[in-house]
Order: sequence, then structure tokens, then C-alpha cells
Amino acid sequence: MDNINPNDIESIQVLKDAAAAAIYGSRAANGVVLITTKKGKSGKPQITFNSYVGVSQAAKKLDVLSAEEWAERAAEIINDNWVRSGPGRTASQTTAERQAILKVNNIVPAQMIDERWFQPGHPGLQYIDWQDEAFRTGRTQSYQVGASGATDNVNYFISGNYTDQQGMMVGLGYKRYSARANVEVKASNKLRFGLNVTPTYSVTNDPGIEGKDNRLHQLVSMAPIVEDTAGVASGYGKNEVYRWGVSTASPVRVMENAIGETKTFRTLSTLYAEYEVISGLRLRSSINFDNNDVTSKSYNPAVRDLPTSQASGSYSGFRRQTFVNENTATYTRVFGEKHDLTALAGYAYNISRIDNVRLGATGGFVNNQVTTLNAATNINGTGSNNTTESQNVLISYFGRLQYSYAGKYLLSTSIRRDGSSRFGGQNQFGVFPAASVGWRISQEEFMKNITPLSDLKLRASIGLSGNNSIGDYNSIATLGIYNYTFGGALATGQAPNRVENPELQWERNRTIDFGVDVGFFQNRIFGSFDYYTKTSKDLLLNVPINTASGFGNNLVNIGEVENRGWEVELTTNNLNNALEWTTSLNFSHNQNEVKHLGPGDATIEVASVADLPSNVLQVGKPMYSIFVIRQNGILSQADIDNGAALYNNQTAGDPRYEDANGDGKIDANDRVIVGQPNPKYTWGITNTFKYKGFDLSFLVQGQNGGYIYSMFGRAIDRTSVGYQENALGRSRDRWRSEEDPGDGVKGKATARFGFIKNTDWLYSSDYYRVRNITLGYDLGRIISKSVMQGARVYVTAENFFGKDKYYGGFNPDAVNTDNGSTFTSGVDYGGLPLAKSLVLGLNVTF
Amino acid sequence: MKRISLLLATACMLTLGSCEDDLDQTPLSNGSVPAFFKTAVDFEQAMNAVYSQLRGYPDRVLILSDLRSDNFYGVSSQGVRDWDAINNFNTTLSVSPYMSDTWASDFGAIFRANTMLDQLKANGSVVSEGLRLRYEGEARFLRAFHYFDLVRMFGRVPVIDKALLPQEVAKIPRGSVEEVYNLIIGDLEYAKDNLPLNYTGANVGRVTSGAAKGLLALVYLTRSGPTYGIDGPGLASNENNKALALLNEVIDSKRYSLVSSYANVFSYTNENNSEVLFDVQYIVGNGATHPGVMVPDNYFTSLQIPFGSRGIEIKPVSNDFLSILAANDDRRAASVQTGYLVANVAENRTVLKKYISAAGRGTGNTDWPINFIVMRYADILLMKAEAILRGGGGTQADALKAVNEVRTRAKQPALTSLTMAQLLDERRREFLGEGLRWHDLVRSGTVLTTMNAWIAKEDASGKMRRNIGANDIIYAVPLNELSATPGLYDQNPGY
Repeated sequence: MDNINPNDIESIQVLKDAAAAAIYGSRAANGVVLITTKKGKSGKPQITFNSYVGVSQAAKKLDVLSAEEWAERAAEIINDNWVRSGPGRTASQTTAERQAILKVNNIVPAQMIDERWFQPGHPGLQYIDWQDEAFRTGRTQSYQVGASGATDNVNYFISGNYTDQQGMMVGLGYKRYSARANVEVKASNKLRFGLNVTPTYSVTNDPGIEGKDNRLHQLVSMAPIVEDTAGVASGYGKNEVYRWGVSTASPVRVMENAIGETKTFRTLSTLYAEYEVISGLRLRSSINFDNNDVTSKSYNPAVRDLPTSQASGSYSGFRRQTFVNENTATYTRVFGEKHDLTALAGYAYNISRIDNVRLGATGGFVNNQVTTLNAATNINGTGSNNTTESQNVLISYFGRLQYSYAGKYLLSTSIRRDGSSRFGGQNQFGVFPAASVGWRISQEEFMKNITPLSDLKLRASIGLSGNNSIGDYNSIATLGIYNYTFGGALATGQAPNRVENPELQWERNRTIDFGVDVGFFQNRIFGSFDYYTKTSKDLLLNVPINTASGFGNNLVNIGEVENRGWEVELTTNNLNNALEWTTSLNFSHNQNEVKHLGPGDATIEVASVADLPSNVLQVGKPMYSIFVIRQNGILSQADIDNGAALYNNQTAGDPRYEDANGDGKIDANDRVIVGQPNPKYTWGITNTFKYKGFDLSFLVQGQNGGYIYSMFGRAIDRTSVGYQENALGRSRDRWRSEEDPGDGVKGKATARFGFIKNTDWLYSSDYYRVRNITLGYDLGRIISKSVMQGARVYVTAENFFGKDKYYGGFNPDAVNTDNGSTFTSGVDYGGLPLAKSLVLGLNVTF
Repeated sequence: MKRISLLLATACMLTLGSCEDDLDQTPLSNGSVPAFFKTAVDFEQAMNAVYSQLRGYPDRVLILSDLRSDNFYGVSSQGVRDWDAINNFNTTLSVSPYMSDTWASDFGAIFRANTMLDQLKANGSVVSEGLRLRYEGEARFLRAFHYFDLVRMFGRVPVIDKALLPQEVAKIPRGSVEEVYNLIIGDLEYAKDNLPLNYTGANVGRVTSGAAKGLLALVYLTRSGPTYGIDGPGLASNENNKALALLNEVIDSKRYSLVSSYANVFSYTNENNSEVLFDVQYIVGNGATHPGVMVPDNYFTSLQIPFGSRGIEIKPVSNDFLSILAANDDRRAASVQTGYLVANVAENRTVLKKYISAAGRGTGNTDWPINFIVMRYADILLMKAEAILRGGGGTQADALKAVNEVRTRAKQPALTSLTMAQLLDERRREFLGEGLRWHDLVRSGTVLTTMNAWIAKEDASGKMRRNIGANDIIYAVPLNELSATPGLYDQNPGY
């Protein structure tokens, strides 16, 4: 999608119907989005010019402790450390007194506070809001020129586009140059051929913002106090880190100076010919070639002006090429005026290949002027400098028969046979049939008199589709390279790195859909309702296995999952006078349930990026259900005296966990299912008003019923965040003493028991958001047609209003870390907030 | 126009017929098992890959044996680290990455050794007779080494002596400690009889008969340790005499001797020295990480080393350890650094510096070109004294002679009498940061009294668990192993 210029799109069609999607094969297992790009229309050539300029900012900032609050918390922890470190030590002792007791004359930050915190005007210190330092107002501009037209024999659409987005954070940027040419030639009455070419070149700049321990994470975690001699450059260049803070170089300076540049040059080309052999029989052959060249360069200059601080850099890239040849024969004929028949048979050959390259260097560069790897003092060993290649082939045979009788009775059946090189010898091919029926009741004679009802259609479909989204060689027992060293020389080694699995086969999805479309008053009210079940069998899952086998996991076809739900779409034309008002609404509900798993239906724990698994596959529960320990308040001394179950050496003021298995202690066996990652309901409402050349639309969107188990929340809000880091704002209401227990949710700052995955980092993913408000005006009303055929000016506000419950992260939709890479359930580890943007645009047609 | 339609049709037909063969793809950037074990070179590479699995051993054993013991006081001051749980005797260790890593790494090596042994049997004819015996000896030594690590860390583990499919492994429960030892002893007996005495050139570092004898002696001493009433490594089997016989064989072979200076044992320019029986080998470009494990980042900074240690925080050498190491003991200067200054801030605690050479460093903190010695001659001498003191034969004079050889090298006065307690202290001084201490304590029978006394004295933070018990002698079965096949394995008591 990134590659398609929105101005080039003619239409977008979503195929949810199993039978309609079936013809698109394995790639359609999760539905099909058909994007049709523009073609020239006959008549006078049209020149279009589209442009917009805008500004954007982060839609959300995390609530962390202010400098004063941080100092208060740090002092609480440090004084506690001091008091515990020996008899006769009290919180009221000054730094000088503590030094005297310890017989040292240096500062020990873990036991001595920075006394300047509590002096008036905190001399020598600067208070910083790191998020404010790094977020900025980004600027966006985009220009597009297009020309289209058609003569008797040729129709064409060409366009060129330039977009420049300066990101909402220091260092983030995106530039895109793209062009498109769609040309079709009618060589004779029977033969047409065409060529569509779309080259796109883009440059993305990202100095390492998102992800674990990357800049966004550091911005939230940095202590908000620094020496005023260093300021924002704390820990960078000549400046030491602040003694009471984490030993992290200023993330702002790093963002300003690091290079993370990705250049993408992608060309989608389609060449096709269509020939009508006899009336009604058309042969079509097409070749699609998608060539994607991506190179990424990173350069991280030394953060400190010290010989021990060295620059590092890398260069990596890939070329991904997908070649598809599709040949179809279509026969369309109307018999006896009412029997409308279309038959299609086809064959497709698809080969995808990826070539990767990677080079990296740590250990310094000659200087910061040269950021390419020839200037690196050493290039890393062969482990990280390499090229790899991989390819797969997909061959499909397919056929479809569509029949309708008088436009009332509709029948469609299809079948396809897909072969994928990713599966083992005997299991490469899968057969996937589909069928659908429709009855347009409103066309029946007996309905003609029911005037309010303008359209009524019943639909039913069933379809099978296959999923082969696994690695290219996953059924083969491959060898990995495991070198060793003897006598000071490298000794090459190879050993199996994957279990052989010749039984690996297509994952099968069966979708059944019942639907009704209904329209009233000439379709001024039009609605459709669908109920569906999608059952996936022989899921391709990389399940954890006992490592006594030599492997940690094994990709197998296992289990069955069912998705059940309904969708409603309703469009109403509320007003149709000088003021037009249209409302369209969609609402959907999905329920996901694991039906079967492997031998004995044993529960599968999904490995996590950090410590114990927090998602499970369990029969009867939604896939990837969140499985953690439940917190149910704060431990009081009375709880402990009464024998409350404890995790390690918990004390009063620490979180109280539910001893789910009742064994008197808290450990991994007390995890319970506390929520599902996918929302149960998603919805959107668009209202559009038109009045005398003005148009105004609102899109509101939301979801409910899902949960986020956030690795980012865990990282920044874990139970024992030290004083060196900043803490989330919710720790204002932490437990401080039995007399001052806070909100009863957040435990004390001086926790010493470690941490275990619990509901503290579980967030509701519910939100509603005004995605888009657009106000437009049709300039055609004031400009003569002789000057231009049409013109519209508009202003759009995106993501300006909304509310979510994800206080442990920036964006409830962010997924930027795979969950230990063996399963497809992703997690948020410091994803960027959404941008709220204000855009002024102009569309002109000459 | 006819011609064009014909052309299109032909193109379809041509592609239709020929292209299904393309569905048989072979990996472009990996070898595959069916094409492997066909040549002598394949077998050599498969053998090397078994050794390769040793590469993670040093880091683990430093945490699981040295940090666990009274040698280091590993309580983090910033946040909560993975190693805190090991140091602090948490009972929730089943989720520790050190548990899952140890179990998986040892079994990964065992799988590769088993694959090697199976293939030698099936296709070994492509390898010369002599090499075949050596490979079998090497593979069996390494299998025994990893099983011995497993039995000392976890007690009972599944006993698997051939390469099996995951679904077969899912039916094999934990075997008894005895069964594990039977495999270990059988393997080491074979290895000591079939491995060469030494190697030259590009084979130096492969396992020898001397290494097999030394390891087997340690196995017998370990089995002879007390049981503590748990399914642990001790069987109270009283096989100290078997150990002594093997140790004497090693000594009498005259292949090994102490290096004259203690510091030189660990020198970057004196690897594969006369003291080494078995080590894990590293070079620049395929280097080690263990030098940084116990060391904070800023110690590297103080040495002008341009990268962090990976240890992040200091895991200081314990005060109790320092109290038994005399200032004039050569091992003090070679092993530890007491205090250092970085950016004008003093760090007053003591770090392990045994493996660190600012001059010898490689390209980064994962690339130290220094071998990790798993077993050396000083250990053979001190094990001999131990076998004698524990009634395996020999005389007090023999024991004193062995211990004094080690003490003299460290410029310490010779002892005139020797108790087990003295011997244990000597081992502690000699082998700091070599992954032996916890196992020494367990074998000696003093682990609980020593550790409980030490925790009470050393732990000012209050983070360590008091009054550890016999269940803490072995570690927890990793949670991921318990959940991979529910009900297949049981958890060790206490976890």
C-alpha cells in the first residue's frame, strides 16, 4: 500500500465473500483488497494537479513523573537503601554525615541523594522534559501532476508525485518520488494489450526511534534532571552522564546525529495482452514483475569525546523480486436472454526470490566526516557480514463458473489447485473449492409492489483457501554453520538447525458466510449484514518442543481455530436537499476460539521476547490469550502475617498477587488467562455533509474488548524501576506507607522482590478516535469552466480527538516486536504515537 | 490474429508442462541433512559443530557456579537482572533464562554428538579407521561432559543416546541420576581408551585421553560426595580410589605441569600451555564473552577499552573471598582488581580481572581471543589431595606434596598438615572465576553451612534468601521444558 499513490487509485474493493476471494488463492486467506488504478477516459485529455501541505505532531505524550516528583521518588529509594545498609543509619543524615560513616569522600549515588534537589532553585541542575525535547512539529508537502485521456485506439494515464514528510520527532523523515504510466492499446477489434509501470523511489530516515532500549524508550526512561552544564547533551560529547541517572547518552543528541537511512526503489510492472478468439471467448495473458531494491545504512557516531567511545555503522539491503505469469481463458455468453454464463480457466506461475546482504562495523571510523564502511577501522567477523538468498515457487490452476438467471438467481463455483515449494514432497499441492449462491428477491414479481423496499438480496457462500506463509525451506532439515576454533585457527562446523518435516502441508481455512443486502426508498437506506465462520485447520505453528530433541521448536500442522462473527454496514442518506447528509456506519464483532491443538490438546505456551511466556494457545480460549499473574491490590503487613502467598521476598507495600493454584506461593504456575489480544468489536462512522459547494466529513473509529500485554509497559513501569530511571505518572499514587497507601494499585517504589509478568502491564486496547475531519469547497462554483474543469480546496484534521486506555505506551495499535519470532503474535515495544496532522490541500483538473 | 492467439496458447502450454519441477526447491544459503555425511570433510565439520556448542559454557558456569557461591556478591543495584535470581536463591528459578539456556545448550550438544555417533555407525566408512575411533571418542567425551553438566545442575535428566525425533523425545521422562552417570562413565571410559594423548597444529584443543581421565576422576569424586537426601550429583558412592588411580595416571603421564607463574596460565600469549587438560577455545573473529561477565561496563572504560563489558553492573568479588587471599599471594594480583577510578569517580569494590587484557582484546565485547580453561593440572593435583583426604588411598604426604606444589607456585608457604577445610580454601583461591566453586562446595558436603553463614555475613541488601536448604543444591527444571510436553517431566522439589 505504501507504494501506491492515493491519487492514482480509481477504486478500492474489499472482497469478504469466500467464493469471490477464492480465485485469488493462497494469498487471499485473510481476504482480498482489490485496488484498481486509474485509466484514461475518452474525451478531452485531462490534466490534474493535486497538492497538500500540512503539519503534524505526536497525538499523545506519556505521563511520566516531573523532575520534582522524580527527585522525591529517588530520595525515597536512596534513603531506604541507606537505612538498610547498616545499623544507626537514618534517612535524615546528610551526605556529609553519610560520607563520614562510610569513611569515603566521594559520592555513592545509591546511598546519597543529590542535595541540590531540595535546595531553592536547585542550583547547578536543569530540569528537562525529554519528550518535549524530542517531539517537534513536522511538515508535510505533496505535489502530483497527472494526465489522462483516450483516443479510439489508445487510453493512457500518467502521473508523477513528490511527497516530503518531515517526522514529528527529531531525525524522522520520509521522501517519496513516484510515477505511473498505464497505457492500453487497442490493436484491433479483437486484440488489446497494455503496460502499467509504477516506479517509486523513497528515502526513509529513522535514527533508531522505536523498539527496546531505542530512543523513544530512553526518552521515557531518562531521569528528568541533568547537570545544567550539560543540559540536553547530558552524557553526550564532553559531558558525563548525570550521576543519579541511567548511564544513557542524551537520546536527543543521538537522534540528531545518528544516521538511519533506508532507500527503496520499487517498480511494479504489468504487461498484458487480451485476445477475443470468438465472440465471448477471451484469452488473457499477463506478466507481473515486482522488483524491490532496499538498502539501509546506519551510522552511529561516538557518543562521547573519549577514546573508548567509538562509532559504529552498517550497510544492509535486499532485493526482492516476484514474477507472476497468469494466463486465463474466459467465456461469457447469454443464452435465451436470461441465462448469463461466465466460465474462466487459468494457470498462474509465481516465483519469488530475495537476496539479502549485510555488512557491519563496530570499533570506530576514521572520523565523522566519512560514514561509509570503507572508513571503518574494522569490519565485523563473518557472523554478521554475509549474503543470503532464498526463493519459492507457487503454481496454481484454477477455474470458475458464474451463472445468473434473469439477474435474480446467482450461482458461482470455483476450484483451484495450488502447489507451493515450501511444503514437503507429497504435500505441495492443495485443492481449494468454493461456491456461492445469491437470490435477488427484489427482482421477483411478487416484490415489485412493495415500494419502500428497493433492493433485497440474500447471499450464502462457502470457500476453502490455503495458507503457506512460512519460511521458504521449512520442510527441509537444513544445516547451520557452527564454527569452532582449534589451535588458534577457525574450524568450520555444520549441524542440523531444523527438524526435517516432509509432512508439512497447507493450512486450510474454510469460510462460510451468510449475508443479506437490503435497500429502502431507492436505496437511500442501504444496509448489509453478514454472519461468518472461518475455521482454520492444520495451522502452521512453530510449537515449542523439548530441547532434549536438539531443537527448541518445530514447525508443524497442528490444531484448529474458529473465528465467528458478524458485520453490519449501513448507509443512510439522511437529507437530500440543498443540504445533503449521508451517514455510513460499520460495526463488526469477531469471536476467536481455539478448537483443537496437538496431541492431547495440550496447552501451548508462546515464548516471549522477555522472561516467561505471557500468551497461550488453549482449547476453548481465544488464540494467544494473555496468560499472566493477576494482581489484586497491595500487600499489607496484615496480609503477610495471615500467610498471604508471596513472590520471592515480598514485603508490605508490594503488589499482592492472586495465588491461583492455591499452593501458598506465587510463581509462574499462578498465571491465569486475563484477556484476549484482539478486539471483540470494531466500528467506524462517517458523516458527510454537502452544502452549496462545501463538503464536510467526520470519520470516527473505535474498538472494544481487546487487551494489550505491553513489553513497553513492562520496560518502563516494572515493579522495581530504580531511582535512576523515570517512572510513569501513575506512581504518584503509589503506596508509601500503611497510612499513605496511595490508590491501592501501584506498589511502593522501594520494591526489592524482582518482578514477574502480571496484570500490571495489561492494558485495555479500547479506543475511539476522530480519525479524520475534512472540510472542502468546490472552487468550480466560482471559477469558470474555461479556466479549469474542476477544483477543490480542503482542509483535513487527522487524529485530533480521541481517547485510549493504554497509559503504558503511545499507540494501542502499535506492534513492532515479534514475540520471540516463533509465533505470529506481535507486541508493542516502544512504538511511536500516531501523528495528529492538519493538512491544506488543493485538487485541480484542467 | 490467429497467430497471436496460438502464441498465447503455446506459452501457457509450455509453462504448464515444465514448471511443476520448480516446486522442488533446495535451500540456497544452507546445506541440508540429506546431502550431508557423505565425505570425510562432512564428518569433520559435524565433529567441529559438536565442539561449537561449548562456546556458551563459560558464561553460564561463571553465573551458575561462581556467582551462585560465596565467591561473588552478585546483588544488582540497578533494577532486577537475570542473574539476581541465581545469586539470591530465588525459588522461582524455573523461569530463569540461565535454566532454559543450560538445559537447551547441553541437550543441543548431546543431540549433535548423538547425530555424529549415529552417522559414524551408518556412514562412517568414508572416514579412515583411526579417525573414526577418534571421532567416536571425541563425541562420547563431549556427550559425557554435557551430561555431567546437566546432572550437576539439575540432577535427573532424560537419558538419550541416539538422535531422536521430537515426538520420540516427548515420550522419554527424566532418568535417574544413576542412569545418567552410567552413560557418562561408559562414554568417558571409551574416550580415555581411544583418544590420543595430544594433538599438534590445527587440532590442538581437541579432547585427549588425559582430559577424559581428569573428567572421569572428577565424576567419581562428585559421585562420592554426600547425597543431602536429594536426587543430586552426590551418591555417597565412595569411589575416591577410582578417582585417585585416574589422577595418578594423568600425573604419571608427565604430559602436564604447572606453568611457572600463576598469571601466565591465563596469558593471551600462553594458550594451550602445559597446564591445560581441557579448554574452550576462542580466537579473534570467533571470540569469547566470558571476560566481561562479572565486570561492569565502567571497569572497561577505566582500562580504555572502547566497548562495554556486557556484564553491565559490577558483580564484586566477595569480602569473604578477599579475606582468605593474602596480599602477597600471586593469585591476588592475577585474579582481582581492588577499586579503580573512572571519570574521577571511585569504585571501591573488587572485580574479577583474570581474563581481561586491554592489549589482547578483540574487536568487541563478544570477541575476546582467550580460551576458557575447564580443567587444568592444578586441579588434577588438588583433586588428588582431595581423593586422598577422603580415603581413596595414598598418604598425607602425597596430598601435602600436591597441594604445596600449587601453593609454592603462588608464592605461598608450604603447609605441613592438611585438612579438607584448608584444601577447599586452597581450591577457592586457585580457581576463582573458573566455574568450580559451587560444585566444590556441594562435593565437600559443606555447601549449606558455608553458604548460610556467608549470606548472613555478606548480604547487607537483604535481597538474598536466608537459610537455604538441600533443595537449593540443584537448580529448577526450566518452565519451558515442563510446558512443552505437560506431565513429561516433574519439577525438582523446592521450586
